[in-house]
Amino acid sequence: MSSSIGTGISESANANTIVKSCLVTDDSATVRRVARKLLTSLGFEVDEAENGQIALEKCLLRMPDVVLLDWNMPVMNGLEFLKALRHTEGGRAPAVVFCTTETDVDHIQRAMACGANEYLMKPFDRESLIMKLEMVACL
Amino acid sequence: MESLQKFAIPATPANYAIWYEYHARQSPNLERTIDVLISNGASFDESTLQDLYSTFFSSAKEAQAVRETSVLALNTLQEIVGVADFASDDAHQFGATLRGIASRNLGESLGNLKSLIESLVDESKNMAGRTDYVGLRMRESAGKIEALEHNLEEAIRDATLDGLTGVANRKSFDSIIRKTAAEAMNTGEDLALLMIDIDHFKRVNDTWGHQTGDTVLRHLAKTVQKAVRGGDHVARYGGEEFAVILPRTDADAAVNVAQNIRQALAREPLLLDLNPPMTPITVSIGAASYEPGYPLTEWVGRTDAALYHAKKEGRNRVELDRNWN
Repeated sequence: MSSSIGTGISESANANTIVKSCLVTDDSATVRRVARKLLTSLGFEVDEAENGQIALEKCLLRMPDVVLLDWNMPVMNGLEFLKALRHTEGGRAPAVVFCTTETDVDHIQRAMACGANEYLMKPFDRESLIMKLEMVACL
Repeated sequence: MESLQKFAIPATPANYAIWYEYHARQSPNLERTIDVLISNGASFDESTLQDLYSTFFSSAKEAQAVRETSVLALNTLQEIVGVADFASDDAHQFGATLRGIASRNLGESLGNLKSLIESLVDESKNMAGRTDYVGLRMRESAGKIEALEHNLEEAIRDATLDGLTGVANRKSFDSIIRKTAAEAMNTGEDLALLMIDIDHFKRVNDTWGHQTGDTVLRHLAKTVQKAVRGGDHVARYGGEEFAVILPRTDADAAVNVAQNIRQALAREPLLLDLNPPMTPITVSIGAASYEPGYPLTEWVGRTDAALYHAKKEGRNRVELDRNWN
């Protein structure tokens, strides 16, 4: 299983048999619980982080295939995490899907400019989550 | 042009520019931002379009702002210019007088000095009086700009309210339910929805006409608004159906609010002098709690199903969604 970690998404020829990992980064316990439930049912291996700093520490130990990322968090927010991640060795590999209540053009534009792969607006559900994961080729 | 039609976007030059750029694939950032908006089902309302334009056509941003301001406040600006001209004439005159006074040969006479000081005081008073006038006119102009702003706020408010009943309209309901559900998902707090339908409303319209029907709708909207708390959101969902979004409210509390609405309607019936007389209006209400992670349409559907159940069970009653609670 560990061979799938940090190798990016595209090179796995037999992607269907490899368990993808997702790091849910959100300070809301409810969001983490809901995301974990949905992602597990989609076959993901799920880890959680309450803020950007914890997420970054977890990424340094083991890069996930995809990060579901909240914007407003204490200690280190989503955008700061994203910038730091993309400057880390191997940090360009994970697909980052922002998952936030911020719905305005300015936030979307800044997220994409900083290297986010996709942007999911809260409240999300199974269908909208699947759509975004498909868009970043993680499903 | 097709995109403009598809997303019901007004075909203004600015919007055309946005979509031309999007389809021409000239700006990857613009393209991705619009893709995000489309894929999240976000609406391309006026403020979103304005943000898109000002974010991605930044060189035009300032010019546009100036143009818009000029158009809006043209008359006011002209007035200000008029006042300013008047002021500068005076200032000019004041300056000239001062210069005249300064060039006088004072010699060493105390009388000359006294007359110089008197001249200065007179001229200053004169100028101060005119400055007051300018200030007054300026304040008037500022008042007019404020009134313009107020009008704009009113227009925005009108666009989100139901014209007949004054509660939030359907479009506004869609955006409120999204916002409150996102908040509930973030905070983990309860969130409940009520769907209220007037019993036998068709009979009201058929018997006493649509004007009476409208009066009934207005009365119900007022009663519902009085029966809910400040942070609750009342909306006209469509026809004779109203919705109430109840933040920080669990299923039991939502049923209580619904019963309050039903009882308030019985307590304060609509009194109309009609022939034949109208029996008091009653409502059926469905209630359901939001479950984070499930689609909003599913939640509205469960609330509607509970309402349907209330109708089936004999009307004038409240039913709680049974699939979750």
